[in-house]
Amino acid sequence: MRELAPRLGRSALRSPVLFRACALLVLLLAPLAVSAREYLQVFVTTPYLELHTGPGRGYPVFNVVERGASVDVLKRRTDWFKVRTERGVEGWAAQHDMLKTVLADGTAFTFDVGDRAGFTSHHWEGGVFLYGDWGGASEISAYGSYSLTNTLQVELTVSEFLGNTANGTTADVGLAHVFFPQWRWSPFVSLGTGIVQTEPKATLVVPADRSDQSAYVGAGIRFYLTRRFFLRGEYKDHIIFTKRNENEKVDEWKAGFGFFF
Amino acid sequence: MESRIRVLLLILIASLSGCASTRHLFGHGHSQNVSQSSDAQSVQSEQQDVNGTPPRVIEPQVERRQIKVPKIRSQNFELGGYLGTLNIEDFGAHEVYGIQAGYHITEDFFFQAEAGRSKAGYTSFEVLSGIQLLTTDERWFKYYDLSLGYNLLPGEIFLGRNTAMISSMYILAGIGGTQFGGDQKFTVNFGAGYKVLPADWVAVHVAVEDRVYNTDLLGVNKLASNLEAHIGLTFFF
Repeated sequence: MRELAPRLGRSALRSPVLFRACALLVLLLAPLAVSAREYLQVFVTTPYLELHTGPGRGYPVFNVVERGASVDVLKRRTDWFKVRTERGVEGWAAQHDMLKTVLADGTAFTFDVGDRAGFTSHHWEGGVFLYGDWGGASEISAYGSYSLTNTLQVELTVSEFLGNTANGTTADVGLAHVFFPQWRWSPFVSLGTGIVQTEPKATLVVPADRSDQSAYVGAGIRFYLTRRFFLRGEYKDHIIFTKRNENEKVDEWKAGFGFFF
Repeated sequence: MESRIRVLLLILIASLSGCASTRHLFGHGHSQNVSQSSDAQSVQSEQQDVNGTPPRVIEPQVERRQIKVPKIRSQNFELGGYLGTLNIEDFGAHEVYGIQAGYHITEDFFFQAEAGRSKAGYTSFEVLSGIQLLTTDERWFKYYDLSLGYNLLPGEIFLGRNTAMISSMYILAGIGGTQFGGDQKFTVNFGAGYKVLPADWVAVHVAVEDRVYNTDLLGVNKLASNLEAHIGLTFFF
């Protein structure tokens, strides 16, 4: 086996067709390799840029990059950027330090920071309701939303309610209109539809599971806390289109926290 | 002979001078003309400066280099699984396995969702009497939770001389649901964990959590506390 390897290598080089094919491949791929920088290069304008061992202020500083030197930005985790220096040292730089760096053309390096401006204008939002009441039953609920504009959001909410008479799950999709996204107290109204799956407790007379469509109107308020966090409280008035003669009406109250990204 | 050479040289000189006088016929010597005319222009512009008229500014035709900013990859999501032991109150301790997903909101706070399952054993009453209180299906202990976590005590651990890995402790608390004994219960969970990151994109967790819910499964209404310890592996993306 030890002798086979060099023999294979020599024969591959000796074969002119294979050699030319390899050379052609190298020639074709070479421009791809050098055409674009893989990572963003930023330059330090402050006296020095501190590099931490991990993405957090508690991790120790182990290296500094001097003014005028550049770093490649490899990735980002929360408010920290992993960078690589010209000497190949990799470490984590804080967001507030990276805001003072510049690009190769001298313009400032800008990126989204989790602040009040982000609360007003962002794409994605998620949250968990730690308090929930679904027609008297305890409720656990989580939601995610995508902002079409600063004032209009598409929301998806998934909940589970656990009561004395019935348990069940609900899934709602709807639109929310935020009136004053720039306000710290930011009210909104919502409208949508969903599915309610109810499992009555086995002790009841009619223990059949059922799945019904529902619709809701709601109103709520968001309060910007700090960084990427806000509190959210809301009320939804659900109408469940049952297969019986009368539709069912359920009041839902929820309070929890949300974050945007 | 000598006179012939002289005549030849004279003819050569005469013909060369003739060529020099006719050079403009074939476009030669144009550059000299241009330089002469530019000289004239510069003299003219100097005269304009003197007269107070603005000098002609040359527009630089330089194309600015457009820096294409590559998108910076964010790694705030974490996904993985865990394996451990869950002590189901009155039903013994058994292996538990599950999946966990996380989103790191800030360097301190993170959001975590877990879903796991375990199979309960028999109560001492069941073992002694031979009567089974639950069916096989009802013995599955399935739960999920949505928690908020907080990182504290960030640090590093060292393996030998050359390897350092960042680590952190965390505490978390949340709410969720537990399906056990033919019923679904509102559950509160809280716990603490320790994580080590061998690389930036992978974390090893060791966590202990308690899952508490109100139950009357054995006839008495009580708060059931189910302690779980697990080892998990998660990947950042």
